[in-house]
Amino acid sequence: MLAYLDAASGSMIVQAIVAGAAGAAVFFKLGWRRITGPFRRRPAAEVGEQDER
Amino acid sequence: MSDLELEPASFRDPASTVAYLDGRVLRGLTKEGAADFDTLAAAPFFAKAMDDGKLVRTTQVPIEDLPQSVRGDAWVRALEHERIPFVSYPYEWTFSMLRDAALVHLDLLLAALDADLTMKDGYAYNLAFVGARPVFIDVGSFERVRPGEPWAGYRQFCQTMLYPLLLQAHKDVRFQPWLRGAIQGIQPQDLAKLFTGTDKMKPGVLKHVSLHGAMDQRYSKSRAQDTQKELKAAGFSTELQKATVAAIRKLVAKLDWGRAASEWNDYQKTSTYTDAEREIKAAFVAKALQGKGAKLVFDLGGNDGTYSRVAANHAAYVVCADGDDLVLDGLYRSLRQEGNRQILPAHLDLGDPSPGLGWRGRERAAFFDRSRPDAVLALALLHHLAITGNVPLAELVDWLHALGGRLVVEFVDPTDPMADRLLANKPPGMHGDYRREVFERLLESRFDVVDREEFPSGTRTLYHATPRR
Repeated sequence: MLAYLDAASGSMIVQAIVAGAAGAAVFFKLGWRRITGPFRRRPAAEVGEQDER
Repeated sequence: MSDLELEPASFRDPASTVAYLDGRVLRGLTKEGAADFDTLAAAPFFAKAMDDGKLVRTTQVPIEDLPQSVRGDAWVRALEHERIPFVSYPYEWTFSMLRDAALVHLDLLLAALDADLTMKDGYAYNLAFVGARPVFIDVGSFERVRPGEPWAGYRQFCQTMLYPLLLQAHKDVRFQPWLRGAIQGIQPQDLAKLFTGTDKMKPGVLKHVSLHGAMDQRYSKSRAQDTQKELKAAGFSTELQKATVAAIRKLVAKLDWGRAASEWNDYQKTSTYTDAEREIKAAFVAKALQGKGAKLVFDLGGNDGTYSRVAANHAAYVVCADGDDLVLDGLYRSLRQEGNRQILPAHLDLGDPSPGLGWRGRERAAFFDRSRPDAVLALALLHHLAITGNVPLAELVDWLHALGGRLVVEFVDPTDPMADRLLANKPPGMHGDYRREVFERLLESRFDVVDREEFPSGTRTLYHATPRR
């Protein structure tokens, strides 16, 4: 269920990392692609695509 | 005749709405909001948080207390809150005030999480100060926790509380103009661009700023609903939400602002006042306010609060407004130590006071539109506004008159060393009208001067005046 505020996906995901070891496990389960994505140099063809879904 | 007014900032959350009626602060709850409140009222921390002064005192009142016209069909329950004497906004707080407010917010959230509750937001504006004590005022924020979900208010907390604190603690950049600049605070992606190189090693930056900013950019198109489901499937739990909040609390508690030297910091030591002059001034303020039953006093340019403290002996509540946040922060910390609930430090540039902000410029009222003071102190203030700020004396007197309260004002002669120092920065003759006789003529045209006293030095004069209608 959603609250009246837009919690924002990125802001929700980062909370798992903030939560420490147990949270990190959740974070990793969300998939490597999601973790490494923001830090990976993306090929020009991929930029602008919605590759997360 | 009832005088009902809806709180202009209370429309974002449909479950709960605040309205003022004949001086009372009332809150209407929908069915959903009432169910959340029942869980809150039954939680052991609820009464304790009110007793500790961390949560605004709240009682249930009959729904009939709200006029049918406001109630409509949506509201099924009514609450009444204790009134906050003067609401100041986060851009009028100092670093220590914002940090203490953030800690109260997080403490309440942690207590809530132990009672199957969480908060639906994380907004600095959900707190107010009573003197030097932060109070959480948005009882409608509490909602029953839904297992598997992260804190919905985390982003808002970052933007309006954590980021401003990090900016000032790590970069020595004052946060107030940023919060005043945007009512939703600082965006993760914007702050991430400011924290570069070794900044990222500083407490809280890597996770809450760099990673948060990157994630925000990456998933800006994702649907929150889908992300929530994925997180739940991956094992996110209420325990993890608790761990997140506890980690943020630990971070906030250790943030500090490395004090920079300030022009005013040693004001009391370097000013040309003698102890005797200070005593004259204190006695004059006391005499002007004694027995007048003032509810609200504005001490404008109040600096370290010396005369706010004098005023507080003769008035219910004093707002000490000053543009120097370092001096105010020191005042706040000493008031906090004393447990003071009567003097509110407010960071305000009197030459550029807080305007109305938010939706239609009405969500957060302009500083001088919020309450009418019964008395105004303007001590050693006008020469700064007139000489440094170039505000004409007639404008200043008009402004003081419009504030509406009785006035205790000091005029600093151009020959006084403090005024002379300011005049030395301006072309000769530019402030030719800045003279005592000009000021007195202007003052007497708008006020009845009740009392006046000249300092032994002959370069400063105090006036007690009441505005003429």
